Amino acid sequence: MLTKFETKSNRVKGLSFHSKRPWILASLHSGVIQLWDYRMGTLIDRFDEHDGPVRGVHFHKSQPLFVSGGDDYKIKYVLEGHDRGVNWASFHPTLPLIVSGADDRQIKIWRMNDSKAWEVDTLRGHMNNVSSVLFHSRKDIIVSNSEDKSIRVWDATKRTGLQTFRREHDRFWILCCHPEMNLLAAGHDSGMIVFKLERERPAFSVSNDSVYYVKDCFLRFYEYSTQKDTQIIPIRRLGSATLNQGPRTLSYSPTENAVLICSEVDGGSYELYIIPKDSFSKGDTVQEAKRGVGGSAVFVARNRFAVLEKSTNQVLVKNLKNEIVKKSALPIVTDAIFYAGTGNLLCKAEDRVIIFDLQQRMVLGDLQTSFIRYVVWSNDMESVALLSKHSIIIADKRLVHRCTLHETIRVKSGSWDDNGVFIYTTLTHIKYCLPNGDCGIIKTLDVPVYITKIFGNNVFCLDRDGKNRSIVIDATEYLFKLSLLRKRYDHVMSMIRNSELCGQAMIAYLQQKGFPEVALHFVKDERTRFNLALESGNIQIAVASAKEIDEKDHWYKLGVEALRQGNSGIVEYAYQRTKNFERLSFLYLITGNLDKLSKMMKIAEVKNDVMGQFHNALYLGDVQERIKILENAGQLPLAYVTAKTHGLNDIAEDLAAKLNDNVPILPSGRSRSLLVPPTPVLCGGDWPLLRVMKGIFEGGLDNVGKGAEEEYEDAADADWGEDLDIVDVEKIQNGDISLVLENGEENEENEEGGWDLEDLELPPDVETPKATTARSSVFVAPTPGMPVNQIWVQRSSLAAEHAAAGNFDTAMRLLNRQLGIKNFTPLKSLFIDLNMGSHTHLPAFPSSPIISLAIERGWSESASPNVRTPPALVFNFSQLEDKLKAGYKATTAGKFTEALRIFMSILHTIPLIVVESRREVDEVKELVIIVKEYVLGLKMELKRREFKDNPVRQLELAAYFTHCNLQPPHLRLALMNAMSLCFKAGNLITASNFARRLLEANPAENHGQKARSVIQAAERNMRDSTQLNYDFRNPFVVCGASYVPIYRGQKDVLCPYCTSHFVVSQEGQICAVCDLSVVGSDASGLLCSPAQIR
Amino acid sequence: MATAPDVLFNLRNNFYLGAYQAAINNNDVPNLSEEDAIERDCLVYRSYIALGSYQLVINEVDSSAATPLQAVKLLALYLFSPDSKENTISSIREWLGDAAIGNNPILRLIAGTIFMHEQDYNEALKYTNAGGTMELYALNVHIFLKMNRSDYAEKQLRVMQQIDEDHTLTQLATAWLNLAVGGSKIQEAYLIFQDFSEKYQMTSLILNGKAVCCMHMGNFDEAESFLLEALNKDAKDQETLANLVVCSLHLGKPSARFLSQLKLSDPEHVLVKRGLTAEENFDRAMQTVG
Repeated sequence: MLTKFETKSNRVKGLSFHSKRPWILASLHSGVIQLWDYRMGTLIDRFDEHDGPVRGVHFHKSQPLFVSGGDDYKIKYVLEGHDRGVNWASFHPTLPLIVSGADDRQIKIWRMNDSKAWEVDTLRGHMNNVSSVLFHSRKDIIVSNSEDKSIRVWDATKRTGLQTFRREHDRFWILCCHPEMNLLAAGHDSGMIVFKLERERPAFSVSNDSVYYVKDCFLRFYEYSTQKDTQIIPIRRLGSATLNQGPRTLSYSPTENAVLICSEVDGGSYELYIIPKDSFSKGDTVQEAKRGVGGSAVFVARNRFAVLEKSTNQVLVKNLKNEIVKKSALPIVTDAIFYAGTGNLLCKAEDRVIIFDLQQRMVLGDLQTSFIRYVVWSNDMESVALLSKHSIIIADKRLVHRCTLHETIRVKSGSWDDNGVFIYTTLTHIKYCLPNGDCGIIKTLDVPVYITKIFGNNVFCLDRDGKNRSIVIDATEYLFKLSLLRKRYDHVMSMIRNSELCGQAMIAYLQQKGFPEVALHFVKDERTRFNLALESGNIQIAVASAKEIDEKDHWYKLGVEALRQGNSGIVEYAYQRTKNFERLSFLYLITGNLDKLSKMMKIAEVKNDVMGQFHNALYLGDVQERIKILENAGQLPLAYVTAKTHGLNDIAEDLAAKLNDNVPILPSGRSRSLLVPPTPVLCGGDWPLLRVMKGIFEGGLDNVGKGAEEEYEDAADADWGEDLDIVDVEKIQNGDISLVLENGEENEENEEGGWDLEDLELPPDVETPKATTARSSVFVAPTPGMPVNQIWVQRSSLAAEHAAAGNFDTAMRLLNRQLGIKNFTPLKSLFIDLNMGSHTHLPAFPSSPIISLAIERGWSESASPNVRTPPALVFNFSQLEDKLKAGYKATTAGKFTEALRIFMSILHTIPLIVVESRREVDEVKELVIIVKEYVLGLKMELKRREFKDNPVRQLELAAYFTHCNLQPPHLRLALMNAMSLCFKAGNLITASNFARRLLEANPAENHGQKARSVIQAAERNMRDSTQLNYDFRNPFVVCGASYVPIYRGQKDVLCPYCTSHFVVSQEGQICAVCDLSVVGSDASGLLCSPAQIR
Repeated sequence: MATAPDVLFNLRNNFYLGAYQAAINNNDVPNLSEEDAIERDCLVYRSYIALGSYQLVINEVDSSAATPLQAVKLLALYLFSPDSKENTISSIREWLGDAAIGNNPILRLIAGTIFMHEQDYNEALKYTNAGGTMELYALNVHIFLKMNRSDYAEKQLRVMQQIDEDHTLTQLATAWLNLAVGGSKIQEAYLIFQDFSEKYQMTSLILNGKAVCCMHMGNFDEAESFLLEALNKDAKDQETLANLVVCSLHLGKPSARFLSQLKLSDPEHVLVKRGLTAEENFDRAMQTVG
């Protein structure tokens, strides 16, 4: 039984839940009716209408009313069967069933139809009168209470007692069930309790993109990204005989796909399930789980979990076979353990938590806390939230306290978002907590939910029915506050611009947190604006606001602030607006503005303000004026004294005349001087202010600089023939050079069956080195095993694999036999690369030699260990395909030397390529032919350029080039070239032949035109000015060395590797095309795949 | 069941995982027993050796120091002056023959290490095979792997697992063996290095371990990123450079610069030697075949 709320009062005889609000009515024996909020635990109201005991109360379902007092139930059935008086009867919420309790200490279940009801079963167990009994509204159970001071729970189908809860002194009188929620209330002699029978929090564990949780009797998982919910495996039906024995916590190890489920069964126990990789089991068969007893169990590493053994206060570390690997005593009396990073545990005691390192056996962190219920780590494991019933403590990974929040309503769950904000739920709200402890409400909740994960604005949670839900929240407020906190003012600014954030609360927050300048942006009200502007020292805005408001008080405040800042212009303005002449005069005095000061004097005169006038005269040091004022004011003696003192004798005499005989006598022997205020160092103007970088809030966001446009780089230095129009080169390049080499099915037969046959041969271990401490016992060191590269050599007849193994002589012999290669010099760097790339280097024991490990190819997850596979080679076919494309590109761009280099390197690498399938073997062989044609063609083209002084040879080579098997765009370019050359040399017939071939090859429009005009010109003038060794009507191949045509029927010899043709005289020479093999030698053919050997 | 905190745990762990500077910097552990203090000093001096500061160790350890420290000094001498290797070896033999100190585990460990460098595995095993400490067992695993005898290495590893399966050296040795036997075990090796990288400071040893696993699984792109990360930590680390050469070769990227860096930082490195031997082999083979 989980008690949620308890009251102390007179005997409670009637109870009623409000269907929507967290209210409960309790009617007391004393005649009082109380209305409680059971969530907040407060008494909302009391009603003293009744004089005697109130037997029953009931809320109206929809209206704000309740009834109390006498019961007016309409009796429909007479239940006969109880021996003594029936105290209570109630209906089943959906089925035609009635349950009744009576003074015969029995509970009877009745079935009814329209006309009658009959007894079905009797539940015995109560020791005294049964006061109240009812069907649970959401579960298949019956709850009853009695004057025997107990509440009993019964299985409604099996009709057996499930559980009994006893109270020490109080007899129970009334029971009541919440119509919608999982809540019950019971009234007793001295108050009432609100309680629930079972926990409703699902056990769950979040792992990356998914949450694993238990619902009913299944382990399920929910993927956040796809919002897909999947049932994984059935788990053991935990004690249906007893309540509240369902799974409490769940721990998941993603790498091993293992789940630990803990429950209260047997006083705390766990079950370990391994989720089968392939199938989320369809059947209902429960996997035989590994079990154990323990307070709590969590994974502490990928394949280790810790189990708390409360009796001895130690932690057992176990492996996935449920075997104990290690035991470790805990430094504090622990009642639960939680994960705290690999190998670490967060141990919870009554009043504190610690982080304990299992390996070092050391306490890494320690924190005094209230009773912690749940622990939530941030994604980066840097921060932890410790949830207790009414508070949240945020600490870092060493349990250094950061902040504590207190909640009046119970805290339920929480999760960290990616920005380090902790989002949590109470019974009624979703709230946030910033790293500095500021918190606030995000949203109200109708029903409690348990947050599992936060993704941006989405809060994912499980509800009490075990359903995954996603709640979209407005994160603006806390993100705004977070940005302020982190001083990310650019974010702040953009949020101010783009979202609706204004509101008194936000302004108050900003002011309180010392950001009045930010608050300024929200405020429309001029008075608030004015105050904020003053607070942030923003005079401009303050002036603008003051103008709008135009009240004396505000001008005054503005003046004070402006004075503080030394902005005399504004001060003057403010004083002027308030007509504060005294201050204004004084301002002019201290700023040395004598002109204005004298103006002030005049104003005073006009206004007849004698005192003001006099002050100004004093400030100005204007003696005559002073005398005049005194005189006008009738202060003749003073005027006289003044005049006399300052030596204005004429005036003094006039005045003396007016005074008649009453001329004051001046003290003698004193020297006199005119007191004039010192001239200010700085006259007028504002105080100089330091130049300050404009804050982001003043200037606003800079416009993001325009992205520089990427310059397009084109193939500028194309080098195609002199007369050729090369405008279209680029178009061609992007056009139809598409080499269609299918790449599929390359892993067709990756099984390497041939290698599996024999295992690594190891000498039988005669002497097993026993780990004995006696060194004297005879130890014979084993003979060294065979290095992997030797195994490669033994099993392979592929040259590349021999080269990788470092056996260059056998590799060369193989190449010589297979391809007739005799010139190995071009292959030197390739051999060395193969060998150098054959092993990795593993640093092992400190200061000991490293371990070299042979890299094998065709690795797969399911490959068996200890079965050696052939070496992974540094060259592969796909690299050659890339190179081929690069070669084509260089050719198109006219960079022939570069292109030739690329094609040669392909030709040199192919003998050291290994592919898997026969199909790929064919592709490799095809590649040899393609590349050979280009090599020959490009060599001829480069040769042609050396014959500047031999136009005939030039024409011939250009012509032969068009007979190499090139890609269509290249062929077109070659034809254009040959056509232009022949046309210019006056060989019009040959030129027109090229033109025709060009037209057949889909040329670009302008090229086609050119070709047609060449044909027209040739038709007018059918002649060749020079005789070429070129008969295009007669099929021929070009000799790879002498570049002469070998017409059909003439004798030739071949290169055994690249299959280039040669005139007979070349026999026995190194092939001039591939530069590797001996022309005309015997060879067995290219061997580049184990598939060819099988 | 041990209850006392393992005060030298961090120091040892740093040393095994290649965080040598961290081991040196955090050696100030209070309240050490005499025995622990000697172990601490050994670990610190061995860290200096691993960092190549041989001279420092040779100068600081005087003749009055305890046997284990003397042994560590011998290792420094051996690695410092290749010319006087013979002397060092003969003195270590002499000490091993001394009944009073010959059984000291550190002395035996150093002997095993030196004979491994000499590639005399039989001689190394003569002193280490009896084991006795986790380090000795781990070294045995290492030696057997060098001998291509993974079957023996596995037996040795099982002994370690029985003592403490979660010990850093047990885990490391498991990874070595897994890599050596290959196949599906490589993944397990990767997970071990992954665990280390999550739990402890990232070192080039761990990064190289991960990279090597990736390369053996055919994942050279990922391996490259680990190696570049390791290069950021220590631009002169020989294993990082050597593995980068290998990785670049497989990716078809230029490797020459890494190789010349490696030649500068360790002209005796296995890979440098492999390259030189390969060149010689090639020329010789050209003579015979060509």
